[in-house]
Amino acid sequence: MSTPVPGYDCTMDELMVVTFSRAMANDTRAFNGAVSFIPVCGYLLARRTHAPELVWAASSIAVDADPDEIGDSTLSDSLWGGASMLSNSPFDFWSYAQGARYNTFAFRGAQMDAYGNVNNTVIGPYDAPKVRLPGGGGMADLGAMIPRIYLWSSTHDPRTFVDQLHFRSGIGWGDGGDHRERMGMPGGPQLCITNLCVFDFEPSSKRMRLASLHPGVTAGQVQEATGFDVIMPNGDIPTTAEPTAEELHILRTEVDPTSARLREF
Amino acid sequence: MSKVTTLQEAAASIPDGSTVAIGGLSMNSAPMALVRELVRQQKKDLDLVAIVSGMAVDWLVVGGCVRRVLAGLVSFEGLGLAPNFRAAVQSGQVAIEEYSEHLLICRLQAQSYNLPFMPTKAGLGTDVLGLHAESGAVREEKDGPTGEHYVACTRLPVDVALVHAHEADDRGNTRVNPKLVWMDNEIVNAATRTVASVERVVDNAAFTAEPERTTYPRFMIDTVAPAPMGAYPCSCFPDYGHDSGFFMEYSQAARDRETFTQFFQERVVGPETWEDFLAVNSVATGASA
Repeated sequence: MSTPVPGYDCTMDELMVVTFSRAMANDTRAFNGAVSFIPVCGYLLARRTHAPELVWAASSIAVDADPDEIGDSTLSDSLWGGASMLSNSPFDFWSYAQGARYNTFAFRGAQMDAYGNVNNTVIGPYDAPKVRLPGGGGMADLGAMIPRIYLWSSTHDPRTFVDQLHFRSGIGWGDGGDHRERMGMPGGPQLCITNLCVFDFEPSSKRMRLASLHPGVTAGQVQEATGFDVIMPNGDIPTTAEPTAEELHILRTEVDPTSARLREF
Repeated sequence: MSKVTTLQEAAASIPDGSTVAIGGLSMNSAPMALVRELVRQQKKDLDLVAIVSGMAVDWLVVGGCVRRVLAGLVSFEGLGLAPNFRAAVQSGQVAIEEYSEHLLICRLQAQSYNLPFMPTKAGLGTDVLGLHAESGAVREEKDGPTGEHYVACTRLPVDVALVHAHEADDRGNTRVNPKLVWMDNEIVNAATRTVASVERVVDNAAFTAEPERTTYPRFMIDTVAPAPMGAYPCSCFPDYGHDSGFFMEYSQAARDRETFTQFFQERVVGPETWEDFLAVNSVATGASA
């Protein structure tokens, strides 16, 4: 379950969705993978508010879908209602993705490092894992192809935000610096939205930098919950902006009336 | 000669030790009736190719049918990890050959196009490539003239592909309605042989009347096995959705070995026919008609 945000008339899941939504520009052309409730809500909310031209392909298949509600799977056909096109095979999808016609993708992992690389493959040594996770799926692919990558986590703690991944399933900024550029990969991670704060990425090192703190959270708490050194910005650290009543109303009544987003909490 | 046969005979035609590709995308359109029959016939040492899968792999693994899993992702999505797959990989009972979605698709494309490799940007900069350093099955290369980095994905031979579709005629013309073939046409095109389970067998006239709707031509489909609700508990869009209740009961039962053994026997492999299986799970047939 989610928790109230002190001083704001909303809960943490709602703050994360709205923050994600506001990061989406009108020229966003996005799609989504498995267990991606926060981004799916974010795309739908952005399209209903400030980004009417935003493209979202539900489950990477159903272009411009507008489901009545979000079910228990963000890959399933239950999300395809109202679509103007069902892409009938992956060939179109991978053309749109590899050619960066799709420009936005969000992923998360059981572990993330300072450069926004993620692990969703194993906890522990690869050959004798403590926990075998689902595997990289499309994130190993799309991390290398999509210019605007967004990360999120509803479990901001040192187990999730680690100095060393046990396995790099998906690439963010790679080894940092100009690694992506050298490899011929477009763009890279833009933001990481967590249940404590928002990170952006320091432009030269490409490491996570504190961009805003959620109400009631201190920079010290963020550092304590993070297994790598967090870059602090120059000057005051802003508080993550409050969702408007309109955003919350649309999220609660139109985008996600059954609160599927709480499956991530 | 008619290609229509029973699920039992279709499964019996697949020898132990085969490389079997499983169709579907996560909870969508997996060939569960065929998979169940493989488990019932106690197949051994199968190498599974499953691009993005879940329940199908879990049944085959817990059924003791699997030697190796070649996969990009195996999970129950928001409903959790695939419990028996997870346990079998952790204990080393089943080997995993690690891919991402597009690396595996590109290996299948190299196979179907009969090319030494397909290039992709997928997997660059990840640890997945290092796992294939010895075999070179997928390997990072640099294009001489342009200096561009790419991953070369080599051919992946597949003995048999299993897919679920809506309709076929007795010659093997097959269609998915609407024509959504995510993760299926890759394996069909790569495989030496394909078995399609179908919601219903229709007359050839249904295909000639609307040939633009045909998904696979008859020369690509070798065996047709009727199985109404044949993707259950996965979905067959738009006829029926996945059954979250089954996934949750299954995961719940898997927390205890004895409970699960009983559940798997009673709810999955015990029922003799597919119709018995649907009855035990209170699934109404005819929903797809």
